[in-house]
Amino acid sequence: MDWIFLSELTVNGALTGLLYSLVAIGLVLIYKSSAVPNLAQGALTMTGAYVVLAFSHNLGWPLWVAIPLAAVIMFLLGMGIERVALRRLAGRPIVMILMMTMGIDIFLRGTTLAIWGGSSRSVNLGVSYDPFFLGDMLLSRIHIVGAAVAIALFVGFLLFFRTRLGIRLRAISDDYLASWSIGISVERGVGLSWGLASVVAVATGVIWGEVQGVDQSLSVLLLKGLTVAVLGGLDSIVGAIVAGIILGILESVGADFLDPFVGGGSRDLIVAAVLILTVMIRPHGLFGRHDIERV
Amino acid sequence: MAQNDSNTKDMILSLNSIEVLYDSVLLAIKGVSVEVPRGGMVALLGSNGAGKSTTLKAISGLLKAERGKVSRGEIKFDGKLIGDILPQDRVALGICHVIEGRRVFDHLTPDENLEAAAPISMSRAKIKSEKERMYEYFPRLAERKSAQSGYLSGGEQQMLAIGRALMTQPRLLMLDEPSLGLAPFLVAEIFGIIQRINKEQGLSVLLVEQNAVAALEIVSHGYLIENGRVVMHDTAGALKENSDIQEFYLGGGEGKNFHEIKHYSRRKRWLS
Ligand SMILES: Nc1ncnc2c1ncn2[C@@H]1O[C@H](COP(=O)(O)OP(=O)(O)OP(=O)(O)O)[C@@H](O)[C@H]1O
Ligand SMILES: [Mg+2]
Repeated sequence: MDWIFLSELTVNGALTGLLYSLVAIGLVLIYKSSAVPNLAQGALTMTGAYVVLAFSHNLGWPLWVAIPLAAVIMFLLGMGIERVALRRLAGRPIVMILMMTMGIDIFLRGTTLAIWGGSSRSVNLGVSYDPFFLGDMLLSRIHIVGAAVAIALFVGFLLFFRTRLGIRLRAISDDYLASWSIGISVERGVGLSWGLASVVAVATGVIWGEVQGVDQSLSVLLLKGLTVAVLGGLDSIVGAIVAGIILGILESVGADFLDPFVGGGSRDLIVAAVLILTVMIRPHGLFGRHDIERV
Repeated sequence: MAQNDSNTKDMILSLNSIEVLYDSVLLAIKGVSVEVPRGGMVALLGSNGAGKSTTLKAISGLLKAERGKVSRGEIKFDGKLIGDILPQDRVALGICHVIEGRRVFDHLTPDENLEAAAPISMSRAKIKSEKERMYEYFPRLAERKSAQSGYLSGGEQQMLAIGRALMTQPRLLMLDEPSLGLAPFLVAEIFGIIQRINKEQGLSVLLVEQNAVAALEIVSHGYLIENGRVVMHDTAGALKENSDIQEFYLGGGEGKNFHEIKHYSRRKRWLS
Protein backbone atom coordinates (compact mmCIF):
# COMPACT_ATOMS: atom_id res chain seq x y z
CA MET A 1 0.00 0.00 0.00
CA ASP A 2 1.22 3.45 -0.90
CA TRP A 3 1.00 5.51 2.30
CA ILE A 4 1.27 8.86 0.61
CA PHE A 5 -1.52 7.92 -1.75
CA LEU A 6 -3.63 6.61 1.09
CA SER A 7 -3.18 9.75 3.17
CA GLU A 8 -3.96 11.83 0.11
CA LEU A 9 -7.19 9.88 -0.36
CA THR A 10 -7.99 10.31 3.31
CA VAL A 11 -7.39 14.05 3.43
CA ASN A 12 -9.19 14.73 0.17
CA GLY A 13 -12.01 12.49 1.35
CA ALA A 14 -12.27 14.44 4.58
CA LEU A 15 -12.32 17.73 2.67
CA THR A 16 -15.07 16.51 0.34
CA GLY A 17 -16.89 15.19 3.38
CA LEU A 18 -16.82 18.64 4.96
CA LEU A 19 -18.46 19.91 1.79
CA TYR A 20 -21.25 17.41 2.39
CA SER A 21 -21.37 18.73 5.94
CA LEU A 22 -22.37 22.11 4.49
CA VAL A 23 -25.54 20.56 3.13
CA ALA A 24 -26.07 18.64 6.36
CA ILE A 25 -25.76 21.77 8.52
CA GLY A 26 -28.71 23.29 6.67
CA LEU A 27 -30.73 20.13 7.25
CA VAL A 28 -29.78 20.03 10.93
CA LEU A 29 -30.80 23.65 11.52
CA ILE A 30 -34.34 22.95 10.38
CA TYR A 31 -34.53 19.54 12.00
CA LYS A 32 -33.37 20.97 15.31
CA SER A 33 -36.16 23.49 15.54
CA SER A 34 -39.03 21.55 14.03
CA ALA A 35 -38.08 17.87 13.72
CA VAL A 36 -38.63 18.08 9.97
CA PRO A 37 -36.07 16.56 7.59
CA ASN A 38 -36.14 19.19 4.87
CA LEU A 39 -36.12 17.33 1.57
CA ALA A 40 -35.82 20.65 -0.25
CA GLN A 41 -32.37 21.48 1.18
CA GLY A 42 -30.65 20.34 -2.04
CA ALA A 43 -32.95 22.45 -4.17
CA LEU A 44 -32.45 25.40 -1.82
CA THR A 45 -28.69 24.99 -2.27
CA MET A 46 -29.09 25.06 -6.05
CA THR A 47 -31.43 28.05 -5.85
CA GLY A 48 -28.89 29.86 -3.68
CA ALA A 49 -26.24 29.31 -6.32
CA TYR A 50 -28.52 30.54 -9.10
CA VAL A 51 -29.44 33.68 -7.18
CA VAL A 52 -25.74 34.47 -6.76
CA LEU A 53 -25.23 33.93 -10.50
CA ALA A 54 -28.18 36.17 -11.29
CA PHE A 55 -26.35 39.06 -9.62
CA SER A 56 -22.79 38.20 -10.57
CA HIS A 57 -23.29 37.05 -14.17
CA ASN A 58 -26.59 38.47 -15.38
CA LEU A 59 -26.11 41.86 -13.69
CA GLY A 60 -22.32 41.74 -13.63
CA TRP A 61 -21.98 42.71 -9.98
CA PRO A 62 -18.90 41.61 -8.07
CA LEU A 63 -19.19 38.44 -5.97
CA TRP A 64 -18.63 40.31 -2.71
CA VAL A 65 -21.89 42.12 -3.43
CA ALA A 66 -23.71 39.23 -5.08
CA ILE A 67 -23.15 36.66 -2.34
CA PRO A 68 -24.33 38.75 0.65
CA LEU A 69 -27.28 40.01 -1.38
CA ALA A 70 -28.20 36.44 -2.31
CA ALA A 71 -27.90 35.50 1.36
CA VAL A 72 -30.43 38.18 2.30
CA ILE A 73 -32.82 37.13 -0.46
CA MET A 74 -32.53 33.46 0.42
CA PHE A 75 -33.04 34.25 4.09
CA LEU A 76 -36.34 35.89 3.18
CA LEU A 77 -37.22 33.02 0.83
CA GLY A 78 -36.59 30.49 3.61
CA MET A 79 -38.71 32.43 6.09
CA GLY A 80 -41.37 32.79 3.40
CA ILE A 81 -41.47 29.06 2.67
CA GLU A 82 -41.97 28.33 6.36
CA ARG A 83 -44.66 31.00 6.67
CA VAL A 84 -46.63 30.07 3.57
CA ALA A 85 -46.15 26.33 3.22
CA LEU A 86 -45.18 24.80 6.56
CA ARG A 87 -46.74 26.79 9.36
CA ARG A 88 -50.23 25.64 8.45
CA LEU A 89 -49.08 22.03 8.70
CA ALA A 90 -47.95 22.32 12.33
CA GLY A 91 -49.25 19.37 14.29
CA ARG A 92 -50.05 17.35 11.18
CA PRO A 93 -48.54 13.92 10.64
CA ILE A 94 -44.88 14.08 9.71
CA VAL A 95 -45.60 12.37 6.37
CA MET A 96 -47.64 15.38 5.27
CA ILE A 97 -44.82 17.72 6.18
CA LEU A 98 -42.28 15.53 4.38
CA MET A 99 -44.45 15.53 1.28
CA MET A 100 -44.64 19.30 1.50
CA THR A 101 -40.85 19.69 1.60
CA MET A 102 -40.68 17.31 -1.36
CA GLY A 103 -43.19 19.48 -3.17
CA ILE A 104 -41.02 22.51 -2.45
CA ASP A 105 -38.03 20.63 -3.82
CA ILE A 106 -39.83 19.91 -7.09
CA PHE A 107 -41.15 23.45 -7.24
CA LEU A 108 -37.69 24.99 -6.81
CA ARG A 109 -36.14 22.68 -9.39
CA GLY A 110 -38.89 23.45 -11.87
CA THR A 111 -38.64 27.18 -11.29
CA THR A 112 -34.86 27.34 -11.62
CA LEU A 113 -35.01 25.19 -14.76
CA ALA A 114 -37.60 27.47 -16.30
CA ILE A 115 -35.62 30.62 -15.50
CA TRP A 116 -32.02 29.54 -16.06
CA GLY A 117 -32.32 26.52 -18.32
CA GLY A 118 -30.44 23.26 -18.11
CA SER A 119 -26.93 24.22 -19.15
CA SER A 120 -24.19 24.27 -16.57
CA ARG A 121 -22.69 27.60 -15.51
CA SER A 122 -19.64 28.29 -13.46
CA VAL A 123 -19.37 30.58 -10.46
CA ASN A 124 -15.82 31.83 -11.12
CA LEU A 125 -15.05 32.20 -7.48
CA GLY A 126 -11.46 33.02 -8.39
CA VAL A 127 -9.95 30.14 -6.47
CA SER A 128 -6.92 28.91 -8.35
CA TYR A 129 -6.90 25.45 -9.88
CA ASP A 130 -3.14 25.19 -9.53
CA PRO A 131 -2.12 22.06 -7.67
CA PHE A 132 -1.58 22.55 -3.99
CA PHE A 133 0.86 20.32 -2.20
CA LEU A 134 0.73 19.59 1.49
CA GLY A 135 3.95 17.68 1.98
CA ASP A 136 3.66 15.10 -0.75
CA MET A 137 -0.12 15.17 -0.86
CA LEU A 138 -1.91 16.79 -3.76
CA LEU A 139 -4.99 18.70 -2.56
CA SER A 140 -7.68 20.72 -4.26
CA ARG A 141 -7.77 24.39 -3.29
CA ILE A 142 -11.51 24.83 -3.69
CA HIS A 143 -12.09 21.87 -1.43
CA ILE A 144 -9.86 23.46 1.19
CA VAL A 145 -11.83 26.70 0.90
CA GLY A 146 -15.11 24.79 1.16
CA ALA A 147 -13.93 22.85 4.19
CA ALA A 148 -12.86 26.10 5.83
CA VAL A 149 -16.32 27.56 5.19
CA ALA A 150 -17.90 24.48 6.76
CA ILE A 151 -15.69 24.78 9.83
CA ALA A 152 -16.42 28.51 10.08
CA LEU A 153 -20.17 27.90 9.90
CA PHE A 154 -19.81 25.16 12.47
CA VAL A 155 -18.00 27.45 14.91
CA GLY A 156 -20.40 30.27 14.14
CA PHE A 157 -23.45 28.16 14.93
CA LEU A 158 -21.88 26.75 18.08
CA LEU A 159 -21.46 30.32 19.30
CA PHE A 160 -24.89 31.33 18.04
CA PHE A 161 -26.57 28.57 20.00
CA ARG A 162 -25.10 30.06 23.18
CA THR A 163 -26.69 33.47 22.59
CA ARG A 164 -30.11 34.36 23.97
CA LEU A 165 -31.74 33.82 20.59
CA GLY A 166 -29.85 30.56 20.11
CA ILE A 167 -30.90 29.30 23.54
CA ARG A 168 -34.51 29.99 22.60
CA LEU A 169 -34.13 28.01 19.39
CA ARG A 170 -32.68 25.10 21.35
CA ALA A 171 -35.56 25.38 23.79
CA ILE A 172 -37.99 25.11 20.88
CA SER A 173 -36.22 22.01 19.62
CA ASP A 174 -36.45 20.48 23.10
CA ASP A 175 -40.11 21.11 23.81
CA TYR A 176 -42.64 23.06 21.75
CA LEU A 177 -45.36 23.21 24.35
CA ALA A 178 -43.06 24.24 27.17
CA SER A 179 -41.61 26.93 24.88
CA TRP A 180 -45.06 28.30 24.19
CA SER A 181 -45.87 28.22 27.89
CA ILE A 182 -43.07 30.67 28.65
CA GLY A 183 -43.90 33.01 25.82
CA ILE A 184 -41.42 31.92 23.17
CA SER A 185 -42.82 32.48 19.71
CA VAL A 186 -42.31 28.99 18.36
CA GLU A 187 -43.46 29.88 14.85
CA ARG A 188 -40.99 32.71 14.57
CA GLY A 189 -38.21 30.46 15.83
CA VAL A 190 -38.95 27.82 13.23
CA GLY A 191 -39.17 30.52 10.56
CA LEU A 192 -35.77 31.82 11.64
CA SER A 193 -34.25 28.36 11.32
CA TRP A 194 -35.58 28.10 7.74
CA GLY A 195 -34.07 31.50 7.04
CA LEU A 196 -30.70 30.45 8.45
CA ALA A 197 -30.75 27.13 6.59
CA SER A 198 -31.36 29.06 3.37
CA VAL A 199 -28.39 31.32 4.07
CA VAL A 200 -26.28 28.21 4.61
CA ALA A 201 -27.66 27.03 1.26
CA VAL A 202 -26.09 30.08 -0.43
CA ALA A 203 -22.66 29.27 0.97
CA THR A 204 -23.11 25.62 0.02
CA GLY A 205 -24.35 26.51 -3.45
CA VAL A 206 -21.41 28.78 -4.17
CA ILE A 207 -18.83 26.21 -3.07
CA TRP A 208 -20.44 23.27 -4.83
CA GLY A 209 -21.23 25.45 -7.84
CA GLU A 210 -17.51 26.15 -8.09
CA VAL A 211 -16.68 22.46 -7.68
CA GLN A 212 -19.07 20.96 -10.21
CA GLY A 213 -20.77 23.87 -11.99
CA VAL A 214 -24.23 25.28 -11.36
CA ASP A 215 -26.98 23.16 -12.85
CA GLN A 216 -29.87 20.97 -11.80
CA SER A 217 -27.56 18.26 -10.49
CA LEU A 218 -26.73 20.48 -7.49
CA SER A 219 -30.09 19.55 -5.99
CA VAL A 220 -29.00 15.90 -5.82
CA LEU A 221 -26.59 16.97 -3.06
CA LEU A 222 -29.58 16.40 -0.81
CA LEU A 223 -28.81 12.67 -0.76
CA LYS A 224 -25.25 13.11 0.49
CA GLY A 225 -26.34 15.82 2.91
CA LEU A 226 -29.15 13.67 4.26
CA THR A 227 -26.83 10.71 4.73
CA VAL A 228 -24.38 12.86 6.66
CA ALA A 229 -27.15 14.42 8.73
CA VAL A 230 -28.65 11.03 9.61
CA LEU A 231 -25.24 9.58 10.47
CA GLY A 232 -24.51 12.63 12.63
CA GLY A 233 -27.85 12.38 14.37
CA LEU A 234 -30.08 14.85 12.47
CA ASP A 235 -30.16 17.43 15.25
CA SER A 236 -26.47 17.80 15.98
CA ILE A 237 -24.25 20.39 14.32
CA VAL A 238 -21.19 18.61 15.72
CA GLY A 239 -22.62 15.41 14.27
CA ALA A 240 -22.96 17.03 10.84
CA ILE A 241 -19.26 17.89 10.84
CA VAL A 242 -17.94 14.61 12.22
CA ALA A 243 -20.24 12.50 10.07
CA GLY A 244 -19.29 14.52 6.99
CA ILE A 245 -15.62 13.77 7.57
CA ILE A 246 -16.35 10.08 8.18
CA LEU A 247 -18.53 9.69 5.11
CA GLY A 248 -16.06 11.57 2.94
CA ILE A 249 -13.16 9.36 4.03
CA LEU A 250 -15.16 6.13 3.72
CA GLU A 251 -16.26 7.16 0.27
CA SER A 252 -12.87 8.10 -1.06
CA VAL A 253 -10.77 5.36 0.52
CA GLY A 254 -13.50 2.75 0.15
CA ALA A 255 -14.12 3.54 -3.50
CA ASP A 256 -10.43 3.29 -4.27
CA PHE A 257 -10.38 -0.10 -2.62
CA LEU A 258 -13.63 -1.43 -4.10
CA ASP A 259 -13.71 0.06 -7.57
CA PRO A 260 -11.26 -2.46 -9.10
CA PHE A 261 -13.53 -5.29 -7.94
CA VAL A 262 -16.89 -3.90 -9.04
CA GLY A 263 -15.66 -1.98 -12.03
CA GLY A 264 -16.30 1.54 -10.69
CA GLY A 265 -19.28 3.35 -9.24
CA SER A 266 -18.87 2.09 -5.71
CA ARG A 267 -19.06 5.60 -4.18
CA ASP A 268 -22.82 5.67 -4.27
CA LEU A 269 -22.95 2.15 -2.90
CA ILE A 270 -20.86 3.23 0.07
CA VAL A 271 -23.12 6.19 0.72
CA ALA A 272 -26.17 3.94 0.48
CA ALA A 273 -24.62 1.40 2.82
CA VAL A 274 -23.83 4.11 5.40
CA LEU A 275 -27.38 5.46 5.27
CA ILE A 276 -29.04 2.06 5.48
CA LEU A 277 -26.75 0.73 8.20
CA THR A 278 -27.17 3.90 10.30
CA VAL A 279 -30.93 3.67 10.17
CA MET A 280 -30.81 -0.03 11.00
CA ILE A 281 -28.16 -0.07 13.69
CA ARG A 282 -28.09 3.37 15.22
CA PRO A 283 -31.20 5.30 14.19
CA HIS A 284 -30.34 8.32 16.34
CA GLY A 285 -26.95 8.59 14.68
CA LEU A 286 -23.61 9.30 16.27
CA PHE A 287 -24.61 12.40 18.21
CA GLY A 288 -28.38 12.47 17.97
CA ARG A 289 -30.23 12.76 21.21
CA HIS A 290 -33.70 11.51 20.35
CA ASP A 291 -34.71 8.38 18.62
CA ILE A 292 -35.77 9.39 15.19
CA GLU A 293 -38.60 6.93 15.00
CA ARG A 294 -41.13 9.76 15.00
CA VAL A 295 -39.85 10.73 11.54
CA MET B 1 -64.10 37.20 51.79
CA ALA B 2 -67.06 36.06 49.75
CA GLN B 3 -65.98 35.58 46.19
CA ASN B 4 -69.45 35.75 44.82
CA ASP B 5 -69.87 39.41 45.62
CA SER B 6 -68.88 39.91 42.08
CA ASN B 7 -66.56 42.78 42.56
CA THR B 8 -64.84 41.82 39.33
CA LYS B 9 -62.37 44.66 39.63
CA ASP B 10 -60.61 42.75 42.36
CA MET B 11 -60.37 39.65 40.22
CA ILE B 12 -57.18 39.21 38.25
CA LEU B 13 -58.79 36.30 36.43
CA SER B 14 -62.37 35.42 35.78
CA LEU B 15 -63.72 32.59 33.68
CA ASN B 16 -67.35 32.92 32.80
CA SER B 17 -69.03 29.62 31.84
CA ILE B 18 -66.41 28.49 29.42
CA GLU B 19 -66.72 25.42 27.25
CA VAL B 20 -63.78 23.72 25.60
CA LEU B 21 -63.91 21.51 22.54
CA TYR B 22 -61.05 19.25 21.45
CA ASP B 23 -60.90 18.31 17.77
CA SER B 24 -64.22 20.15 17.26
CA VAL B 25 -66.14 17.24 18.79
CA LEU B 26 -64.96 16.35 22.27
CA LEU B 27 -66.52 18.61 24.89
CA ALA B 28 -63.98 18.45 27.72
CA ILE B 29 -65.18 21.48 29.72
CA LYS B 30 -68.87 22.13 30.03
CA GLY B 31 -69.36 25.55 31.50
CA VAL B 32 -66.71 26.35 34.06
CA SER B 33 -66.66 29.59 36.00
CA VAL B 34 -63.66 30.35 38.16
CA GLU B 35 -62.37 33.53 39.73
CA VAL B 36 -58.95 34.35 41.13
CA PRO B 37 -58.72 37.47 43.29
CA ARG B 38 -55.80 39.80 42.73
CA GLY B 39 -52.99 38.61 44.95
CA GLY B 40 -55.00 35.53 45.92
CA MET B 41 -54.31 31.83 45.84
CA VAL B 42 -56.99 29.52 44.49
CA ALA B 43 -56.97 25.77 43.94
CA LEU B 44 -58.70 23.68 41.28
CA LEU B 45 -59.24 20.19 42.61
CA GLY B 46 -60.61 17.08 40.98
CA SER B 47 -59.78 13.59 39.89
CA ASN B 48 -58.19 12.31 36.69
CA GLY B 49 -59.76 13.54 33.50
CA ALA B 50 -61.96 16.07 35.31
CA GLY B 51 -60.79 18.90 33.09
CA LYS B 52 -58.37 20.76 35.34
CA SER B 53 -55.51 20.91 32.87
CA THR B 54 -57.88 21.80 30.07
CA THR B 55 -59.10 24.75 32.11
CA LEU B 56 -55.54 26.01 32.57
CA LYS B 57 -54.79 25.52 28.87
CA ALA B 58 -57.84 27.57 27.99
CA ILE B 59 -56.46 30.39 30.12
CA SER B 60 -52.89 30.22 28.82
CA GLY B 61 -53.97 29.63 25.22
CA LEU B 62 -52.01 26.39 24.98
CA LEU B 63 -55.18 24.64 23.82
CA LYS B 64 -54.20 25.89 20.41
CA ALA B 65 -51.29 23.45 20.35
CA GLU B 66 -53.64 20.53 20.97
CA ARG B 67 -56.37 21.44 18.54
CA GLY B 68 -58.61 22.54 21.36
CA LYS B 69 -60.78 25.63 21.36
CA VAL B 70 -62.84 27.68 23.78
CA SER B 71 -66.23 27.36 22.12
CA ARG B 72 -68.30 29.34 24.58
CA GLY B 73 -67.91 31.70 27.51
CA GLU B 74 -65.33 34.36 28.19
CA ILE B 75 -61.95 34.61 29.87
CA LYS B 76 -60.99 37.91 31.44
CA PHE B 77 -57.53 38.71 32.70
CA ASP B 78 -57.14 41.96 34.54
CA GLY B 79 -60.55 43.06 33.25
CA LYS B 80 -59.63 42.40 29.64
CA LEU B 81 -61.00 39.68 27.36
CA ILE B 82 -58.07 37.54 26.28
CA GLY B 83 -59.78 34.79 24.26
CA ASP B 84 -58.31 35.93 20.94
CA ILE B 85 -54.80 36.63 22.13
CA LEU B 86 -51.89 34.38 21.13
CA PRO B 87 -50.29 32.28 23.88
CA GLN B 88 -46.99 34.17 23.73
CA ASP B 89 -48.83 37.48 24.06
CA ARG B 90 -50.71 36.19 27.10
CA VAL B 91 -47.35 35.48 28.71
CA ALA B 92 -46.36 39.05 27.97
CA LEU B 93 -49.59 40.21 29.65
CA GLY B 94 -48.53 38.35 32.79
CA ILE B 95 -50.06 34.88 32.66
CA CYS B 96 -47.69 31.98 33.00
CA HIS B 97 -48.69 28.34 32.97
CA VAL B 98 -46.40 25.71 34.45
CA ILE B 99 -47.61 22.74 32.45
CA GLU B 100 -48.18 19.27 33.77
CA GLY B 101 -45.21 16.94 34.08
CA ARG B 102 -42.34 19.41 34.76
CA ARG B 103 -41.42 19.84 31.15
CA VAL B 104 -38.02 21.46 31.55
CA PHE B 105 -35.79 21.79 28.50
CA ASP B 106 -33.83 18.58 29.01
CA HIS B 107 -30.82 19.43 26.88
CA LEU B 108 -30.39 22.92 28.28
CA THR B 109 -28.76 23.67 31.61
CA PRO B 110 -30.94 25.07 34.40
CA ASP B 111 -29.28 28.41 33.81
CA GLU B 112 -30.25 28.30 30.13
CA ASN B 113 -33.77 27.18 31.03
CA LEU B 114 -34.16 30.32 33.10
CA GLU B 115 -32.57 32.48 30.44
CA ALA B 116 -34.86 31.12 27.71
CA ALA B 117 -37.87 32.37 29.64
CA ALA B 118 -36.68 35.94 30.17
CA PRO B 119 -38.74 38.39 28.11
CA ILE B 120 -36.92 39.64 25.01
CA SER B 121 -37.00 43.20 26.31
CA MET B 122 -35.32 42.31 29.61
CA SER B 123 -31.85 43.78 30.06
CA ARG B 124 -28.77 41.64 30.69
CA ALA B 125 -28.43 43.00 34.20
CA LYS B 126 -32.07 42.31 35.02
CA ILE B 127 -31.82 38.76 33.69
CA LYS B 128 -28.85 38.20 35.92
CA SER B 129 -30.56 39.54 39.02
CA GLU B 130 -33.74 37.60 38.24
CA LYS B 131 -31.76 34.39 37.88
CA GLU B 132 -30.13 35.12 41.22
CA ARG B 133 -33.58 35.58 42.72
CA MET B 134 -34.61 32.14 41.42
CA TYR B 135 -31.47 30.56 42.84
CA GLU B 136 -32.26 32.18 46.16
CA TYR B 137 -35.74 30.65 46.13
CA PHE B 138 -34.39 27.28 45.05
CA PRO B 139 -30.81 26.88 46.31
CA ARG B 140 -30.67 23.31 44.99
CA LEU B 141 -30.86 24.70 41.47
CA ALA B 142 -27.91 26.99 42.10
CA GLU B 143 -25.76 23.99 42.89
CA ARG B 144 -26.66 22.33 39.62
CA LYS B 145 -27.02 25.30 37.34
CA SER B 146 -24.62 23.96 34.71
CA ALA B 147 -25.83 20.35 34.65
CA GLN B 148 -28.09 18.99 31.94
CA SER B 149 -31.61 19.63 33.15
CA GLY B 150 -32.75 16.24 31.93
CA TYR B 151 -30.64 14.67 34.65
CA LEU B 152 -32.04 16.70 37.53
CA SER B 153 -34.21 14.93 40.10
CA GLY B 154 -37.97 15.23 39.87
CA GLY B 155 -38.08 17.81 42.62
CA GLU B 156 -35.31 19.88 41.07
CA GLN B 157 -37.06 19.78 37.71
CA GLN B 158 -40.29 21.00 39.27
CA MET B 159 -38.41 23.82 40.95
CA LEU B 160 -36.78 24.68 37.66
CA ALA B 161 -40.11 24.66 35.85
CA ILE B 162 -41.50 27.07 38.44
CA GLY B 163 -38.39 29.26 38.40
CA ARG B 164 -38.53 29.34 34.62
CA ALA B 165 -42.15 30.46 34.75
CA LEU B 166 -41.30 33.17 37.28
CA MET B 167 -38.64 34.51 34.87
CA THR B 168 -41.48 35.60 32.57
CA GLN B 169 -42.51 38.09 35.29
CA PRO B 170 -46.06 36.76 35.69
CA ARG B 171 -48.82 38.40 37.66
CA LEU B 172 -50.81 35.17 37.57
CA LEU B 173 -48.95 31.90 37.99
CA MET B 174 -50.80 28.73 37.09
CA LEU B 175 -49.36 25.47 38.35
CA ASP B 176 -50.55 22.12 37.04
CA GLU B 177 -50.04 19.39 39.65
CA PRO B 178 -46.64 20.53 40.90
CA SER B 179 -46.70 17.94 43.69
CA LEU B 180 -47.10 14.94 41.41
CA GLY B 181 -44.65 12.20 42.32
CA LEU B 182 -42.72 14.27 44.84
CA ALA B 183 -41.86 13.37 48.42
CA PRO B 184 -43.95 15.25 51.01
CA PHE B 185 -40.99 17.30 52.25
CA LEU B 186 -40.35 18.53 48.71
CA VAL B 187 -44.02 19.39 48.24
CA ALA B 188 -43.85 21.37 51.47
CA GLU B 189 -40.71 23.15 50.31
CA ILE B 190 -42.16 24.07 46.93
CA PHE B 191 -45.53 25.14 48.30
CA GLY B 192 -43.71 27.17 50.94
CA ILE B 193 -41.85 29.11 48.27
CA ILE B 194 -45.03 29.70 46.28
CA GLN B 195 -46.70 31.01 49.39
CA ARG B 196 -43.75 33.24 50.15
CA ILE B 197 -43.72 34.77 46.65
CA ASN B 198 -47.46 35.27 46.91
CA LYS B 199 -47.02 37.21 50.16
CA GLU B 200 -43.90 39.15 49.20
CA GLN B 201 -44.69 40.00 45.60
CA GLY B 202 -48.46 39.78 45.52
CA LEU B 203 -48.30 37.10 42.85
CA SER B 204 -51.74 35.59 42.15
CA VAL B 205 -51.76 31.81 41.96
CA LEU B 206 -54.11 29.28 40.41
CA LEU B 207 -53.07 25.85 41.60
CA VAL B 208 -54.29 22.60 40.06
CA GLU B 209 -53.88 19.67 42.39
CA GLN B 210 -55.03 16.16 43.09
CA ASN B 211 -53.21 16.45 46.39
CA ALA B 212 -56.06 18.39 48.01
CA VAL B 213 -54.66 18.07 51.50
CA ALA B 214 -51.49 19.96 50.63
CA ALA B 215 -53.21 22.42 48.30
CA LEU B 216 -55.90 23.44 50.78
CA GLU B 217 -53.21 24.38 53.28
CA ILE B 218 -51.97 27.25 51.15
CA VAL B 219 -54.96 28.54 49.16
CA SER B 220 -57.83 30.68 50.33
CA HIS B 221 -60.47 29.17 48.03
CA GLY B 222 -60.95 25.96 46.15
CA TYR B 223 -63.03 24.75 43.22
CA LEU B 224 -63.89 21.15 42.71
CA ILE B 225 -64.15 20.04 39.09
CA GLU B 226 -65.76 16.82 38.02
CA ASN B 227 -66.56 15.77 34.47
CA GLY B 228 -65.84 19.17 33.06
CA ARG B 229 -68.03 21.04 35.53
CA VAL B 230 -67.45 22.94 38.74
CA VAL B 231 -69.39 20.96 41.30
CA MET B 232 -68.27 22.76 44.44
CA HIS B 233 -66.68 26.04 45.33
CA ASP B 234 -65.87 27.25 48.79
CA THR B 235 -63.21 28.60 51.12
CA ALA B 236 -60.29 26.32 51.82
CA GLY B 237 -61.36 26.01 55.43
CA ALA B 238 -64.86 24.87 54.53
CA LEU B 239 -63.57 22.44 51.92
CA LYS B 240 -61.21 20.88 54.45
CA GLU B 241 -64.12 20.26 56.79
CA ASN B 242 -66.27 18.83 54.02
CA SER B 243 -66.92 15.16 54.65
CA ASP B 244 -67.00 14.22 50.95
CA ILE B 245 -63.63 15.75 50.35
CA GLN B 246 -62.29 14.02 53.40
CA GLU B 247 -63.79 10.74 52.34
CA PHE B 248 -62.45 11.05 48.85
CA TYR B 249 -58.97 12.24 49.64
CA LEU B 250 -58.35 10.25 52.76
CA GLY B 251 -58.93 7.11 50.79
CA GLY B 252 -62.26 6.17 52.40
CA GLY B 253 -64.02 6.46 49.05
CA GLU B 254 -63.01 2.99 47.88
CA GLY B 255 -62.60 4.11 44.30
CA LYS B 256 -65.79 6.11 44.37
CA ASN B 257 -66.05 9.16 42.21
CA PHE B 258 -67.48 12.40 43.45
CA HIS B 259 -70.61 12.16 41.40
CA GLU B 260 -71.27 8.76 42.93
CA ILE B 261 -71.44 10.14 46.42
CA LYS B 262 -75.10 10.71 46.94
CA HIS B 263 -75.49 13.59 49.32
CA TYR B 264 -72.70 15.28 47.52
CA SER B 265 -74.70 15.85 44.37
CA ARG B 266 -77.51 17.43 46.33
CA ARG B 267 -75.21 20.12 47.60
CA LYS B 268 -73.33 20.80 44.45
CA ARG B 269 -73.61 24.21 42.99
CA TRP B 270 -73.74 24.60 39.28
CA LEU B 271 -72.02 27.82 38.69
CA SER B 272 -72.52 27.77 34.99
N1 LIG C 1 -55.46 16.96 23.59
C1 LIG C 1 -56.64 16.39 23.86
N2 LIG C 1 -57.42 15.92 22.86
C2 LIG C 1 -58.61 15.34 23.13
N3 LIG C 1 -59.10 15.19 24.36
C3 LIG C 1 -58.38 15.63 25.40
C4 LIG C 1 -57.11 16.25 25.21
N4 LIG C 1 -56.62 16.58 26.42
C5 LIG C 1 -57.53 16.20 27.31
N5 LIG C 1 -58.61 15.63 26.71
C6 LIG C 1 -59.80 15.11 27.39
O1 LIG C 1 -60.38 16.14 28.13
C7 LIG C 1 -60.80 15.68 29.40
C8 LIG C 1 -60.16 16.50 30.50
O2 LIG C 1 -58.77 16.27 30.47
P1 LIG C 1 -57.76 17.09 31.39
O3 LIG C 1 -56.40 16.76 30.94
O4 LIG C 1 -58.14 18.51 31.39
O5 LIG C 1 -58.04 16.45 32.81
P2 LIG C 1 -57.29 16.68 34.19
O6 LIG C 1 -58.34 17.10 35.16
O7 LIG C 1 -56.16 17.57 34.02
O8 LIG C 1 -56.82 15.22 34.55
P3 LIG C 1 -55.47 14.72 35.24
O9 LIG C 1 -55.63 14.91 36.69
O10 LIG C 1 -55.40 13.28 34.87
O11 LIG C 1 -54.35 15.51 34.67
C9 LIG C 1 -60.44 14.21 29.47
O12 LIG C 1 -61.60 13.47 29.17
C10 LIG C 1 -59.42 14.04 28.39
O13 LIG C 1 -59.50 12.76 27.83
MG1 LIG D 1 -54.17 17.34 34.14
